[in-house]
Amino acid sequence: MSAPPIGVETDARSLASRPHAWLAHARRHPGLALGAMLLSAIALVALLAPWLGTVDPAAIAPARRMRPPSAEAWFGTDALGRDLWSRAVYGTRVSLAVGLSVALLATIGGLAIGLLAGFVRRADMVVMRVMDGIMSIPSILLAISLIALTRGSVGNVILAVTVAEIPRVARLVRSVVLSLREQPYVEAAVAAGTTPMRIVLRHVLPNTIAPLTVQATYLCASAIIAEAILSFIGAGTPPSIPSWGNIISEGRALWQVAPHMVMLPAAMLSITVLSVNLLGDGLRDLLDPRRAVRP
Amino acid sequence: MFAYVVRRLAATVPVMLVVAIFVFSLLHLSPGDPAIVIAGDQASPADVARIRETLGLDRPYLQQFVGWMGRAVRGDLGQSIFSNLPVSHLIAQRIEPTLMLMLLTVALAVSIAVPLGVLAAWTAGRWLDRLLMAVAVLGFSIPVFVTGYLLAWLFALQLEWLPVQGYVPLVEGLWPCVRSLLLPALALGSVYVALIARVTRATLLEVLGQDYIRTARAKGLAPASLLFVHALKNAAVPIVTVIGLGVALLIGGAVVTESVFAIPGLGRLVVDAILRRDYPVIQGVVLLCSFVYVAINLAIDLLYTVLDPRIRY
Repeated sequence: MSAPPIGVETDARSLASRPHAWLAHARRHPGLALGAMLLSAIALVALLAPWLGTVDPAAIAPARRMRPPSAEAWFGTDALGRDLWSRAVYGTRVSLAVGLSVALLATIGGLAIGLLAGFVRRADMVVMRVMDGIMSIPSILLAISLIALTRGSVGNVILAVTVAEIPRVARLVRSVVLSLREQPYVEAAVAAGTTPMRIVLRHVLPNTIAPLTVQATYLCASAIIAEAILSFIGAGTPPSIPSWGNIISEGRALWQVAPHMVMLPAAMLSITVLSVNLLGDGLRDLLDPRRAVRP
Repeated sequence: MFAYVVRRLAATVPVMLVVAIFVFSLLHLSPGDPAIVIAGDQASPADVARIRETLGLDRPYLQQFVGWMGRAVRGDLGQSIFSNLPVSHLIAQRIEPTLMLMLLTVALAVSIAVPLGVLAAWTAGRWLDRLLMAVAVLGFSIPVFVTGYLLAWLFALQLEWLPVQGYVPLVEGLWPCVRSLLLPALALGSVYVALIARVTRATLLEVLGQDYIRTARAKGLAPASLLFVHALKNAAVPIVTVIGLGVALLIGGAVVTESVFAIPGLGRLVVDAILRRDYPVIQGVVLLCSFVYVAINLAIDLLYTVLDPRIRY
């Protein structure tokens, strides 16, 4: 854990010097390459939503209700005649926003708490018991109980899922810190009178980057699923914003006669989560932080 | 051993206390008056006053918490704001479907995942292993309600082998009940199967590298006996641990599965309670689920010594 595996550096160097090394690299880590490619495509879909043959995702057209997929409505229309392709494409934005925000916020929060618990012995006991307690509440239920108090909004979904995920990151960071404290070079730094701040910045933080990167991708995947679940049961993104969970939830009543209303957004959701998971597994194999746990 | 059991039991007290404080405080964390939050936008001042009275929100925080805790320990989880029935009564009404669903899911998932994990470890690096692990990544990636709709579409709508929705109570017979829960259990179990299979494979790979396995192989032991008797026994601890930890996933997934398959369980109770802002019900179910989760993992911790005699406390 004290130094990155040698392979990483050489790979990076060879990639910079020889462009065709990308191909060899992709061949060696097919999951990573596939995940990165799919995710880039999905991110492009989210960015370019208005130019991808979409119409206003909220436009109601009673005359064209519940159409099956066709040349003019690629994913068909829903019970209000809204274009499902447009809704699904715009839904990409919500899922990616939630996934990325939760990954970022939970990583920052967990990093701060984990560093505190790892370095301040007096805080360790109390902080970790609180984290254990929060982890004992199944995360979907925790998010539900937080959202039930407030109005459903994308911001509140992000906040609720972040609170549920922070303890896992904190535990990971704490375990890295505890093992680093035993390292001779950290002991040497302490003996040499290096300030705690400098030890954290120079010796500890760089070693948390690899495991945290992997953990963040898993957080992103589970946050995307959590948003969809919360929206699906009516406790997430408000119905006025098209998100995959909302679209599936709206198609629920009619799915037996019009399965496309549920299956097509569900497929986009699954492919997105799959690509994030492939990226995470690929990064884990590449960086080998054995500690990273799947949330 | 006895000292360990006592210590382990004592360690769950602070954890449950944190859970209780968290669940209780949620109401007070929300901006504004909790009584108004619960009553909703269209409530009259009389409604708000009634809720404040019922929940004792006019008393000091600590007094409220101690009173609430004291009642919760004795099984009194307060009253539903919507139906005025005791929460414990509502939970008792809804617990059977959820319990049956969980039991069936764990049974199915473990009996599918462990052999698959063993098979993957046995064929490590070859195409079968790669295929199984690719399927496991899929299992992690497809949300439970998507799996639910896919299974229902295939086995209920197209093939018509199993019912699309609904729950048959246990009093009408074990098989009809299990039959009504087969698709939900498979959908709910998909993530769980992936998790257990991956851990089984990883742990077994480590065990298979040990000397006694080489000896067993050298003396000509059949692969099945080698894998399932000699190797699996020593891989049991991490596998059982992940089975326990995965229960959290199942509890969260059950909320959604029950919505997809119209099963009148605790998950439906919670979902209905959110839409009605029936906070005592949400608190009660969350507290119960967390308690069950902590208890299961406590039991598993205590099981370690039975599974692996090398572990001494």
